[in-house]
Amino acid sequence: MIRKSVFVLIALLMLVPSLNVTAQPSGLPVDVPREELFVMDQIFRWSLIDNYNVWNPARITPHRHALMAETLWYLDQETGNIMSGASNEPPVYNDDYTQMTVTLVDSLKWSDGEAFNADDLVFTVETVWNTPGLSFGGWHAQFADFLESVEKVDDHTVTFTLNRPHPRFHKNFEARWAGLYMMPEHAFSQIEDLVNYTYQDGPYLGLYAPVEMDPNGFWNLFKKRDDPQNTAVCQYHMNEDCGPGYVLTILYGDSTKKVIAMTRGELDVFMNVDFEAFESLLASTPTAKSWYPEFPWAYPNETSSRLIRFNFDTHEWTNNKDVRWALALSLDIVQLQTEYIGGVAKVVYVTVPYTPKLAELYYNHPRMQEWVENLEIDVAGEPYKPFDPTVADRIGEWADEQGYAQPAETAAASYGSGWWKYDTDTAAKLLEHNGYTRDGNGDWYTPEGERFSFSIQAAPDEVDSFRVANAAADMWNDFGIDVELQGLERSVWGANTDTGQFEVDSPWTSFVLPDGDGWPQLRNYHSKYYVPAPERHNSLGGGTPARLVDPVLDELIDAMVALHPQDPQNLELVHQFLQHWVENMYYIATVSFKKFVTWNELYWTNPPSAGNDVYMPLYWFQGGRFSIGGLESLGG
Amino acid sequence: MTLLRQFILPRLLQWVIVIVVGITITFLIPRLSPVNPIQQALARLTQFATLEPEAVLQLREQLMANYGLEGSIVEQYFRFWGNLLGGDLGPSFGAFPQRVNDLIGRALPYTVALLTFTTIMGWIIGIIVGTLAAYYPGRLTNLVAGVMIVVYPVPYFIIAFIFLMAFTYYIPFFPLIGVFRGEPFEAEFITSYLHSTFLPAVTLLITGLSFRFIMARALGTAELSSDHVQYATMAGLPDNRLMYSYVARNTMLPQVTDLGLSMGSIFSGTLITEAVFGYPGLGDLLLQAIYQADYNVVMGITLLSIVGIATASLIVDLSYPLVDPRVRYR
Repeated sequence: MIRKSVFVLIALLMLVPSLNVTAQPSGLPVDVPREELFVMDQIFRWSLIDNYNVWNPARITPHRHALMAETLWYLDQETGNIMSGASNEPPVYNDDYTQMTVTLVDSLKWSDGEAFNADDLVFTVETVWNTPGLSFGGWHAQFADFLESVEKVDDHTVTFTLNRPHPRFHKNFEARWAGLYMMPEHAFSQIEDLVNYTYQDGPYLGLYAPVEMDPNGFWNLFKKRDDPQNTAVCQYHMNEDCGPGYVLTILYGDSTKKVIAMTRGELDVFMNVDFEAFESLLASTPTAKSWYPEFPWAYPNETSSRLIRFNFDTHEWTNNKDVRWALALSLDIVQLQTEYIGGVAKVVYVTVPYTPKLAELYYNHPRMQEWVENLEIDVAGEPYKPFDPTVADRIGEWADEQGYAQPAETAAASYGSGWWKYDTDTAAKLLEHNGYTRDGNGDWYTPEGERFSFSIQAAPDEVDSFRVANAAADMWNDFGIDVELQGLERSVWGANTDTGQFEVDSPWTSFVLPDGDGWPQLRNYHSKYYVPAPERHNSLGGGTPARLVDPVLDELIDAMVALHPQDPQNLELVHQFLQHWVENMYYIATVSFKKFVTWNELYWTNPPSAGNDVYMPLYWFQGGRFSIGGLESLGG
Repeated sequence: MTLLRQFILPRLLQWVIVIVVGITITFLIPRLSPVNPIQQALARLTQFATLEPEAVLQLREQLMANYGLEGSIVEQYFRFWGNLLGGDLGPSFGAFPQRVNDLIGRALPYTVALLTFTTIMGWIIGIIVGTLAAYYPGRLTNLVAGVMIVVYPVPYFIIAFIFLMAFTYYIPFFPLIGVFRGEPFEAEFITSYLHSTFLPAVTLLITGLSFRFIMARALGTAELSSDHVQYATMAGLPDNRLMYSYVARNTMLPQVTDLGLSMGSIFSGTLITEAVFGYPGLGDLLLQAIYQADYNVVMGITLLSIVGIATASLIVDLSYPLVDPRVRYR
């Protein structure tokens, strides 16, 4: 009797929670009709709740800056074009680049009906300039360093006077990630403490205003303004009522949960998932589409690329050009791109992503094409041509063999540039020429007689970088070098690169911006920023973890600084920089970024795609606003 | 008086020492780590920006001032104690200018509610069922024991993942993340809370219960073969009295210790549960803080954990004489 009673009691206790929940539906956290609601993958969890102060140095801008904020121009990563924001004309500099004049659009209004004008821009610049606490994006520091004055010329014209020439000063107002967010002068001039102001009630210049937020930071609901026709996004789309009525950003978590959410119809777009999760989504959700409707699916044109980086400061062997070339020639890029990356990223031989614009400026530019096809390196006294132009075609053949339908584009457009020959015999000659020896098992030894071994570090959560490192480690081990792959948690990997605690690692970067300008990225390679490890590589403000010192690069960087980004001479200098870089094989560039930015066309359609490639689908960047504003309802 | 001097005071002193040493170690460890919060913040703030190197230097100085990381480690240490004694854990680096107190205050109720329920329920059910299984061996209890023995060694994240897939994908009844609507103590909040907390609670309950069941069954079985239980059985005492007064009560000392320490460790959160089920507790907060080198949040949560476990140990120590008279007689 006792036994029975106890077990009945236990069974009842275990049922208690389920009795309470049986009436609850699954679903989204907000009560908005689904046909009015666009649900986007929030790329992290908000820490600051109900605080929309986007000038405050906290991690609070992704999504929000695309939805709520406005800047002057947007640098689109898909096309490399400048898109209009609060200004639809390029900045005008004086001859020595000490003055910049900006003309503002005269048709924008804040969400409270006040017109946007030069007073707002002047107020924004002066406020950020004079308030160290509003340091997001480094704009405060930039203004403190360069700005002499900012003056209103008329209601829609503003002139900036600089204390020294700066042909790229306008980059502060041009969003790749973000541009200086405009402030409403008529509202903010009444607020004493802007640093701690939460900016919950607007007014906003973007298309959306925040209306509700999860107290735990997992989601945020935005509502479209009542006057969308007064925003830059709807004016771009020439649609007076563009975009969904509501946007919900929501953090589900890892790839598995994002895929489940999309199959449940509770997510309309996500930033990225791993390849395997994407494949399972395609199988379960026919309305889900990434950039290409077929293989290689993923969006390939975010402006960054994967590479293998050497630490030139702490290990002598990394300073030997022949050894670096030997390592490059012992990598089979086709195998790396197909077996490790799944065939879904574009191959690059320099750290410049293969976007349509950058391919035109760099890979397909006659000067670069001629150079790379005729490039010769010295192999034990003999000239050797290392370039293999067939790589993209071979990847296309591999895709055919896998049975993948492929886009009707050239192989290069889908799979990138040529690369270096997979030629282990030549790699062996290079090593032997430098005193390296090989034993009967094929294992390599250094000139000092020790086993040639090193480690390669990568962060596993940066999936493609880790897979590149994994591929390189496997191939180099097959070649007879003892390579240890070290997977490190992101912050530890970052700390190691900062302090020079690595030999070889697998990071990502781009040497140029989406419009092709190189100097903003390349200046960090100037030797004046060099500090020895273990001092942090950016102790002098610039510098890179590679800690490279090369006077030729210094000269090229110094020559670029005074040129306007679009000056043809600037492009020529970047070409020379890349050529010198490759000839020395300072980095082994591998593949462009790719992301499975995926849209579920169940409730909303017309996202950017390979067939609608007018702007990028990177909705978490500030310029991602155009992709949201261009969505059209399918009516639920 | 003797009890106070010989038993209570030494334990109180030990409690104070444990907390001071624990907090000091917690203060030092992040600062000895190569992960630097300023570097992390710089990377975050200047993401994709085209900053002048001089501007980067200015930004770094400003962040040092904002985060209170100026001065030597010794200066920072005394400043930390000063703030701590004033009840201020400082600003969060990852959510600047939010105070750590606010972040912890927001996450703590979720963690305490979930873990208090699952720990106590797991403890009570585990002990009752485990003791019954020891006292009444039979087909049913052996079946339960078999299930518990199979479940116990399965890693928690596997159980959590199975439940996640089963009840959010194949049977999509539960939400993928914690969705809490309405104000605390309102009907809407309570209902949504139960809905969102069901899966994390059940998975934690299953793993906690299986451990306690196995422990209670083993202790009970050992107790059954002891001389005094054998004697009481031969003396013909009723089952109820034998089981509760002779078997269960004599196994309580390790069980109380387990409960005390488990309750103390509640303040560390449940990292895997929170990550898998999108539950907004201390574990997830700690994980984010570690990623961002947010010393102050890491210290705040660790401080809570140290105080929780040390206090639980103290309470367990002090309660021994109540649970086991033999301790009183020593």
